[in-house]
Amino acid sequence: MALKIINTCVNCYACEPLCPSQAIYKAEAHFLINPRKCTECEGDFEEAQCASICPIEGAILDKFGLAINPPGSLTGIPPERMAEVMAELQAH
Amino acid sequence: MELPVLNDQPASKGGCSASSCGTTDDQLDHLTDEIRAKVQNHPCYSEDAHHYFARMHVAVAPACNIQCHYCNRKYDCANESRPGVVSELLTPDQAVKKTMAVAANIPQMTVLGIAGPGDPLANPEQTFETFRQLSQDAPDIKLCVSTNGLALPASVEELSKHNIDHVTITINCVDPEVGAKIYPWIFWENRRIKGIEGAKILIEQQQKGLEMLVAKGILVKVNSVMIPGVNDKHLAEVSRIVKSKGAFLHNVMPLIAEAEHGTFYGVMGQRGPTPDELMELQDSCSGDMNMMRHCRQCRADAVGMLGEDRGDEFTMDKIEDMEIDYQAAMEKRKVIHQAIEAEMNSKREAKSATLAKQVAEEKLTTRPVLMAVATSGQGVINVHFGHAKEFLIYEASPEGVRFISHRKTDLYCGGDETCGDGESVLQQTIRALAGCETVLCSKIGYEPWEMLEQAGIMPNGEHAMEPIEEAVMAVYKEMAKAGKLDEIKPEQRATA
Ligand code: SF4
Ligand code: SF4
Ligand code: SF4
Repeated sequence: MALKIINTCVNCYACEPLCPSQAIYKAEAHFLINPRKCTECEGDFEEAQCASICPIEGAILDKFGLAINPPGSLTGIPPERMAEVMAELQAH
Repeated sequence: MELPVLNDQPASKGGCSASSCGTTDDQLDHLTDEIRAKVQNHPCYSEDAHHYFARMHVAVAPACNIQCHYCNRKYDCANESRPGVVSELLTPDQAVKKTMAVAANIPQMTVLGIAGPGDPLANPEQTFETFRQLSQDAPDIKLCVSTNGLALPASVEELSKHNIDHVTITINCVDPEVGAKIYPWIFWENRRIKGIEGAKILIEQQQKGLEMLVAKGILVKVNSVMIPGVNDKHLAEVSRIVKSKGAFLHNVMPLIAEAEHGTFYGVMGQRGPTPDELMELQDSCSGDMNMMRHCRQCRADAVGMLGEDRGDEFTMDKIEDMEIDYQAAMEKRKVIHQAIEAEMNSKREAKSATLAKQVAEEKLTTRPVLMAVATSGQGVINVHFGHAKEFLIYEASPEGVRFISHRKTDLYCGGDETCGDGESVLQQTIRALAGCETVLCSKIGYEPWEMLEQAGIMPNGEHAMEPIEEAVMAVYKEMAKAGKLDEIKPEQRATA
């Protein structure tokens, strides 16, 4: 039972001090969660603290490997709109 | 850690280029003597001081506790920096070392601010450790901090222990319904709270923090981002409320939203205000409040005069090698500060004397005129039209000359309809000058001359190297004499 930080993490440090289990640490490229220490905040908080403050959609995965904050859930930008605009920018 | 700098246009080229000194320094007019004494050497608050004094920011605070729709957290806090900028993150020890190195090498540096790259008060340990060390080791440096306000009430006690005389709060609204359109979520009491509920808590904390700071005697400046169609109508009320609670300065900044920044507003096509809209709002608030008109939206690790960035001279690897004797530096700084103050005062007196004379000569009754000026500082007209990265906008009227704002030449892309492929830099520049009737520069080419004239803006290169206010007044008088000011303002043809 553990969450996972992936490489879209922008190293904002927001999650690290919140973890009740000291499971989060800064690694070479970005922050990581020690799976042996992560408790998914059970017994401490209702919601996983790291995933509740992380500003980057998709940066933190649950134990099934699914994004806890999927595209659009934090920024409010509909994923289709994002794709459209990014394609347009690429074309330039 | 080497961080990349994306889209690094802010500041680095600039140099102090605003000039609105002496009699035209309207933004400090309403202040009590006590506050005026506190801010008159502060480069960010006094248009006058920022020719002479410098500030720096250190980036020690990476985390943030809210989301703003104009910010992409891949980059620095957009409340305090232009979007799309990434600063070199420092530990408190590194930041202290850097600050003292800069203070020793640039004695004009009087103010150290922490503004990001996230929210300073969401990183209390780093922020307060930096302040604690500096209050102790470099007591001649003023400290300031900016915040979104969420963690402010919890921080006031600690803030009051350090050498802090200014706090900047970004307040974009006082109505949670408006807030929900600006802030999609906040992190509060161990939960992410979205929508109106989150915005309501944020607004409450901002207002409470403002009141607590004022009660402690700490100066509060309020920043607002003007977002057309979202909070533009609402900001006059914000201005009134923050003023009544004791904020001493209100700074309304334009939203900067570009799709490539990946922000909500950028991607959704929300436009920023036009220069006219911004000016109108600043004017409508200024009856109530000291408005700050020369903010350059500098980055979280900026070093130098406003609008200038000498950060490259003080990267961490260069600083590690510097030996600093701060006691000696402090002696030297004191002498230089006194000399600068003396110079500021004598220039201020000389200028008000000349202007008073100009105005007294013959009392005009003509309408006010906006003029754009190309300058790189020292208070004179000294930039070629084609090289100007920004223009200072002045208003000339029978009352005298008043600094209004600065306009970047590349900032005002208004989105799809105005920013089609074909628009040249020149056309963009002309659009940025909308509302001005004259542009003063040191020189100008033939082609831009023609285009400006066609757009209803008269180029003028006759006052190269002359002091700005005097030249603006002289041109105004010529216009009056030529009968140009009897007519109502000509329709501008530069709307494309
Ligand atoms: S889920 Fe909780 S315990 Fe696990 S890493 Fe995140 S904050 Fe720490
Ligand atoms: S909060 Fe998210 S982006 Fe920030 S350091 Fe943690 S995982 Fe990375
Ligand atoms: S407070 Fe600053 S860092 Fe935080 S989301 Fe807003 S603009 Fe970005």
